[in-house]
Amino acid sequence: MSVPLVAIAGWVLPGAGYWLIGQRARALTVGISVIVLFVAGLLIGGVRLIEVPGYGDHGLPLVMVSADRFVKADPTLPGASGPWMLTSHPLDEIRNKPWYIAQILTGPINLIASWGSVTASKVNAAGTTAGFRSHARTNELGVLYTAVAGMLNLLAIIDAASRAGQPEADA
Amino acid sequence: MSPILAWTPFLDPIPIWSNAVWPWLLLPLAIAVALVYKSVKCRTMRQVPREAAVIAVWIVLGMVIAAVVLAGVVRAMEW
Repeated sequence: MSVPLVAIAGWVLPGAGYWLIGQRARALTVGISVIVLFVAGLLIGGVRLIEVPGYGDHGLPLVMVSADRFVKADPTLPGASGPWMLTSHPLDEIRNKPWYIAQILTGPINLIASWGSVTASKVNAAGTTAGFRSHARTNELGVLYTAVAGMLNLLAIIDAASRAGQPEADA
Repeated sequence: MSPILAWTPFLDPIPIWSNAVWPWLLLPLAIAVALVYKSVKCRTMRQVPREAAVIAVWIVLGMVIAAVVLAGVVRAMEW
């Protein structure tokens, strides 16, 4: 089995890398643990604990207004038009939301949660948002759960890819 | 309405602010870390349940000891 294919499968669905090399029990144990941990984090802190690079607290894309100021794309703000932060200053934007690096390692499940976070952050006609932003311990615990899930998945991806390169007889 | 009845999963943060409740959230985290770590480390999956249980207990014990030591340091500094 090709090593890059095993690594990509492990990112797309946690545990799938092990499944591809025939280690089903390991695949299920790792996959279920990582997904349960990530979903538990979202349950604890709410989906808005995912801080999506390029988007602000209001669920709108962040645009660059001047070289040293990050200003949200609120149409009511004068001069709030410019290049999207994620394309104009990607490293700055990702550095502002470092936990996202760990969370994205969980795979597309994090992309779905990111979409949920942006959607739940948008202010509706009544002037409220669908989701509440967590603070203090609930936020810390939720971020911890989701980030640890991503980092554990990275560990599993590396191990599955390594095993794919050196096939073992046992499972 | 009680906070738990008004809670919308995934949209609202879980309503646990009591210091008697939130430390228990360490347990699922410790168990998941132990399970994945031992699944990666063990040669056969038969070893995993026992070894993961042992390391999960050690993680929790380590956190409890760290908490007690830190609480002692804080008390000593306040005294």
